Amino acid sequence: MKTSLRLILLLLLITKLSAAPLIVIAHKDMPRLSSAQIKAIFLKKRLFLDGVALVPLNLGVKDPLRHTFDTQLLHMGFSRLKSYWSRQHYLGHRPPLSMHSQESIIAFVQKVEGAIGYIDEAHLTSDLHVIYRWEGP
Amino acid sequence: MRRLTLLLLFYLGLHADDGYTLGEGMQVGPLPLYVGSYFSIEYSKGQELQHFSVDDIALLSYGSYNRFSYLLELEFTEFYVKSNDQNITKTTQDHTLHLERVYVDYNLNENYSLRLGKYNSPIGFWNLLPINVLRETTSNPVSTEILFPRFTTGIDASYSSFDTSLFKVDLLLQHNDGLDESYNNYNVDQHYALGLGYEQENLSLKINGGYFHLDDTSTLAERYYLLISGKYEEEKYQFMAELGSQRSQKSFTTKYAGYLQGLYRLSPKHIAIARVESYNNEVSDKTNNLLVMGYTYRPLYPIALKAEYQLHSQSRDNQFLCSFSMLF
Repeated sequence: MKTSLRLILLLLLITKLSAAPLIVIAHKDMPRLSSAQIKAIFLKKRLFLDGVALVPLNLGVKDPLRHTFDTQLLHMGFSRLKSYWSRQHYLGHRPPLSMHSQESIIAFVQKVEGAIGYIDEAHLTSDLHVIYRWEGP
Repeated sequence: MRRLTLLLLFYLGLHADDGYTLGEGMQVGPLPLYVGSYFSIEYSKGQELQHFSVDDIALLSYGSYNRFSYLLELEFTEFYVKSNDQNITKTTQDHTLHLERVYVDYNLNENYSLRLGKYNSPIGFWNLLPINVLRETTSNPVSTEILFPRFTTGIDASYSSFDTSLFKVDLLLQHNDGLDESYNNYNVDQHYALGLGYEQENLSLKINGGYFHLDDTSTLAERYYLLISGKYEEEKYQFMAELGSQRSQKSFTTKYAGYLQGLYRLSPKHIAIARVESYNNEVSDKTNNLLVMGYTYRPLYPIALKAEYQLHSQSRDNQFLCSFSMLF
């Protein structure tokens, strides 16, 4: 019984350590946002903020950071999101733009007003405007 | 008209942007123009009636520019129907292209938006996603077809507030004949309705109430309705329920109509569904309780193969239904 408990605790610790922080960045004028507000933006329920059109940016479907973002911030797995965006297609709404790399997200966010994306800690530099930080589960 | 639509689809296919994902439409060149399509093939077998149809062949187009967005949907409904009722076989074909939806949206700011045109009445949850491929059963609950007009031609003014939860108000105004009204479940010349919606995490709640006037002179031309809806969704399962009532000035036309549906995702491709429905329709003088048990296979989400069996309180209405549908 004690061995099982130790194993479970060890697994939880490994899971915690392997969950890299996820940084949500945006164009310089955007205020800090809550996870619920970020979710509304990435599901295109919220289209404007302070009069500015929002441009959420995703990584590719197979990117591990995209998987972390979908499951931990949006709380939606791949099939549920697929179902959501098929339904939105019928309602005339498009999914967020997909970028090839975190470098593309950084470049886009710095240039375009209303742009919002996510990167990992390793890509964070002092000139980026951080609006939310997810430290792990 | 049919040839023109097929030619248009072919042309759009040739000029579509790369990177097409099934079920999400495609962009036409660099234009703010996306196109999509869907269709369904359905079969049902009751004790006396068999019914086969190629239904809902639709072309969808939409886009947005600055604060404006638009949507246009054209559809062949009951394109080909073959039925057998007590050994009498009948085949019909309707190649009329219907105008299912056409509207323009304008976002005044992050909270307020206006919609003008013909649109799915934003009442309850089911009515916003009424096409075969997006729902989990071939059949629609009866309550979604008898309580309120499925389409409204007029204005939808909406207010949305975002914080830790989403709160939405919809005000529907129609004071004119509907566009392509033969396609609506009620032929109305007036429809006024108010809807309140609330969403937090996986829970969504709605309450809708309204008045509509049938475009005829019958004593039951004026109708009032109320609908309460709830939905809870997790990764593996979903519960959805809607319950409503409708009355004329003098008496109830539908005392109650509602359903409770649960679905369980056995895997991303396999879904089991159970739904209980009950209604009392005074106009058709029918009271019915039914249980629907269904299974849906989605090899990819925009492709659905469905089968269901309906057990009715009046057993002569029991039937089997199946369908194949796709969204492009």
